[in-house]
Amino acid sequence: MTTAIELNQVVKTYGDFRAVDDVSFSVEEGTICGFLGPNGAGKTTSIRMILDILRPTSGSISVLGHPVASQVRDRIGYLPEEKGLYKKMTATAVIAYFATLKGVPSSLAREKARELLDRYGLSAFKDHKCEALSKGMGQKVQVLASIAHDPDLVILDEPFSGLDPVNQEVMEEVIQDLKSHGKTVLFSTHVMSHAERICESIVVIAAGKMAFHGSVEEARNLLPSRVRVRGDDISDLVLRLPGVQSVKPSTDGRADVLELHISDDTDPQLLLKQFFDSGKSLDTFEVVQPDLHEVFVHLVGEDAREAADR
Amino acid sequence: MMRIYRVAQREYLENVKTKGFWIGILLFPVMIWLMVEVPKFLEEKGIPTRHVAIVSRDAEAGELARQRLTLLNRQKVLQALQQHIAEATESQRKEMLEEQEIDAAALLDRLEEGLEQMSQGSAEINPFNPKQLVNIGDLIPDEYLLNDGQWLAMRNLLLNQLPKGSPEFIEPDPRFIEVGLLPGLTDMATDAEIETALRPYLRAEKLYPASGRNVDLFALVLIPENVLSEKEPIRFWSSNLADTDLLDAITDSLTDRVRQMEYDSRGISSSEVKEIAQIRVRSNNFNPNKQEGEEKVGIRDKIRQYAPVGFVYLLWIAIFTVAQMLLNNTIEEKSNRIIEVLLSSVTTNELLLGKVLGVAAVGVTMQLAWIGSMLGILRLKAGPGAEWVVDLLAAVVSPELLIGFIFYFVTGYLFYAFLFAGIGSICNTIKEAQNFMSPMMLILMVPLGTMVFIPNDPNGTIATVMSWVPPWTPFIMMNRMAASPPMGEIVGTGIMLLISVIFVFWMSAKIFRIGVLRTGQPPKLLELLGWLKSSRP
Repeated sequence: MTTAIELNQVVKTYGDFRAVDDVSFSVEEGTICGFLGPNGAGKTTSIRMILDILRPTSGSISVLGHPVASQVRDRIGYLPEEKGLYKKMTATAVIAYFATLKGVPSSLAREKARELLDRYGLSAFKDHKCEALSKGMGQKVQVLASIAHDPDLVILDEPFSGLDPVNQEVMEEVIQDLKSHGKTVLFSTHVMSHAERICESIVVIAAGKMAFHGSVEEARNLLPSRVRVRGDDISDLVLRLPGVQSVKPSTDGRADVLELHISDDTDPQLLLKQFFDSGKSLDTFEVVQPDLHEVFVHLVGEDAREAADR
Repeated sequence: MMRIYRVAQREYLENVKTKGFWIGILLFPVMIWLMVEVPKFLEEKGIPTRHVAIVSRDAEAGELARQRLTLLNRQKVLQALQQHIAEATESQRKEMLEEQEIDAAALLDRLEEGLEQMSQGSAEINPFNPKQLVNIGDLIPDEYLLNDGQWLAMRNLLLNQLPKGSPEFIEPDPRFIEVGLLPGLTDMATDAEIETALRPYLRAEKLYPASGRNVDLFALVLIPENVLSEKEPIRFWSSNLADTDLLDAITDSLTDRVRQMEYDSRGISSSEVKEIAQIRVRSNNFNPNKQEGEEKVGIRDKIRQYAPVGFVYLLWIAIFTVAQMLLNNTIEEKSNRIIEVLLSSVTTNELLLGKVLGVAAVGVTMQLAWIGSMLGILRLKAGPGAEWVVDLLAAVVSPELLIGFIFYFVTGYLFYAFLFAGIGSICNTIKEAQNFMSPMMLILMVPLGTMVFIPNDPNGTIATVMSWVPPWTPFIMMNRMAASPPMGEIVGTGIMLLISVIFVFWMSAKIFRIGVLRTGQPPKLLELLGWLKSSRP
């Protein structure tokens, strides 16, 4: 497998401020990669550098085998974070225009625009001016505009923001369609559930620095497993059990449920056995895999809070 | 190149679709049309018939005043008739520009001849050639107009000039109508009594009863008994201070009479004085720049001298509207955040060039539409077969003017377009752009201010110095074009302008590159200078 995107020790500084600080990762061709990080982590700056809209201060970037994205810009589709369309143009015309800028002949571009609008449930809005579209509608149009020229690599900056749950699903569909056609997708998001569902790999950056790069599974393994238990009069017992690192009330909202963080090498089955041996009765015992959300908070929580306080 | 073309194409098509574009295109011919029609309309309808009460204590003076009013009324009819004939005999008018020299004496001779033939029952000679642009009413001696018989004969003679099937001549309303005094009031009443009685009517508080109709009373003229002998002033009552035609007519007529009496008493022949007063020294104007034998300056040359002013104005409007369009579009793309998608597809230079070229095409379209509609209106107004319009334009639009106009339009436009696009790129809203626009506007106003006086001294110091200031070069040089400025200056300022255009492009491209991706406050001037030094973001 070849890499679609490769960043090597990329740094971008604005004066003294290091917006992106020594970021390296790669995305395999034909995969979906989630690009995660709190607000102000440097996601958009990184994406702009990948697209050659900005030049890195140091480090190197290769896109689709070329050192500079502008050499292969016709093969890249891009949806920026802040979405905008020409207000006075129709949805079809906007999509077709962006496609022609990528080298698609005009007539073919219009045809392609109509086809995409049909496919993703926007047939009724083909000839609507963009100013008449709702925000989510406009965003869908813009996503379609970024893929109308059939790019090999699609970079989406916050594609889910501002979409209702139904359209978020449509968006996931779009991304998965792209993958099934052999395209590479890199998208940034705050919402971990999307990344969890559709990504093969994720990149997490915080305050401009790499925090994690690997598969979703590897990310989950960053956090120890937890066990949730409920039973009569067990609060003293759980503290004494071997392998239990800490005990907290459960975060899932159920009353009286305790959440035990256990060390990596502890077998949950062994814990269960010890409960039986102690003679206490349990009505709940479940092993919980950490989700990406928790991993994310674990990885960047402090930075994100700091950033919010700034 | 393809991308520049695509950007330009979109820019052009989208701008052409806007309401503003069509308003701009339509407004111009409407304005020209109004400029032609409004004065005509005002002349026809603007001055209403004035109703005036005249009380004269001196029989001769009263007679003179009334004669003068009749004279003015008949001159107005004559003028309308002349206009009517001119319109009906449109096709003959094309030669009129070539026959600007009016020979009043010859006209009078022909008039007398015509009147003589009239009395003999034939009138084949046309004493009122509609080719003449002058108001014939002014050329005909008052005696002819005041003699009722001759007036009617003259009127019929003129009406006979109308080709068969011409629309009927409708006599215009007289300028002045004398109204009698109020019932119960006679000439025997004192000035004070008359003035008191008429005051409410003069104040427009009441309508004045005149021969069965109620009218606005314009003025009351009280001519004292010894106006001619003692030059006692006339008492003129009117609430309208602006329209002095009536008063002038009456005082003129009485002044003429008083002067004549004075000549007579000193033994001077008044007719000789009149003759002497007619003598004028005339001038023939020559231009040393013209070919030998053709140096005589005609009306075409005068028009040509001022033609560049028209071009400068056109240039100014075009540059201003088009550059404004570019500014708005750039701000729209920036505030809509479209720019980022664009930049993932095209380079900033491609985007900048594409936009500037696309909007330039809009400007050229607009200008062609303007020039086309101007020609159309001139043709329409001049009637069918009025090839003189084309002749006139051919005289005005000489190759050097046209080439100059194209060159200065292109360079001037590019200069300002790049500047405005650069400004647009650092502003998020039109409001922010206003701050940068004010100095630009000041710079742009200067050539507009000097536009009128530069033709008076086209190669003078001010014009020469200003020609070397690149933002003004296109306007000032265009303004001087008809005066054949020194070749060295044309080439020198041209090269300077081209270098400036390249410099402005380089500068704007740099600012544009950084500015378009920047959000928040527009940068400070120092920061901008920093951008110019930086290589790439």
